Amino acid sequence: MKVKRRTSQADVPSMAMGDIAFNLLIFFVILARAQDDSHLQWQPAAAEEINAQGTAKVSVLIDNDNKYYVNGQQVGASQIAGEVDALLGDTPAGERIVLFKVHREAQALYFEPAIEAISEVGGDIVHVLEKNQD
Amino acid sequence: MVEPPSSATGDIAFNLIVFFLVCASVQPDSGRQQTLPRSEQETEEQSENIEVQLGRNTVMLNGNILRQEDFKAALHRALNGKTRSEDRVVIVKSKADTPYHHWVTVTEMIESAGGIVTIQTEEEQQVVVPGG
Repeated sequence: MKVKRRTSQADVPSMAMGDIAFNLLIFFVILARAQDDSHLQWQPAAAEEINAQGTAKVSVLIDNDNKYYVNGQQVGASQIAGEVDALLGDTPAGERIVLFKVHREAQALYFEPAIEAISEVGGDIVHVLEKNQD
Repeated sequence: MVEPPSSATGDIAFNLIVFFLVCASVQPDSGRQQTLPRSEQETEEQSENIEVQLGRNTVMLNGNILRQEDFKAALHRALNGKTRSEDRVVIVKSKADTPYHHWVTVTEMIESAGGIVTIQTEEEQQVVVPGG
């Protein structure tokens, strides 16, 4: 005697499709922003005149503990030039923008070697600052 | 009354969190672009370049200590009549403890006065050994 195997339907509810698609979209947006440095602790210095800057491939950050980060990844002072150079690659002059974010109280001992490293590899430094409120 | 299905509240909460996270991190950066002359472009007539020395909260122009308010006018006078870009190079030497906000303020003044900022780090500065 043959016993028929029972089949049960287990469909994904079509109501959830919108949510799934949206979550996938957000997931990839966040992945694309993996180089983000917004979690790092620093306070920008103030300046009288600042301009809105476009997008940049590279950002170098010195946080309030005088640690160096390139695109959100911690590096040593001696690694900055190499990392920035690798990220800029063959980018033509004029587009080799490097966002330079330095904690306002960081000392020259820490930020000058970074400036030197960026300019050594032909990076165009953009100091990320806030508008002076005084 | 039709209530939203309770199984969707997790999704809704997650989407709200992600929405605010993404919104919070899309603020564009603003700042000031600075082009530093490459070391090989530095002029041979370095002795004639204007020199600015920065301390923790002090500023010196060609060896003279100035108040920050007077610095801008003194710099304008020093740059007056200098038309060639190589003459407008201002060498900025900072003490190790010079804070970034002070450096930014002074270099902004130099650039607004028409100077071209170049930095000289401590390692490059000449060390004079007494009796040497």
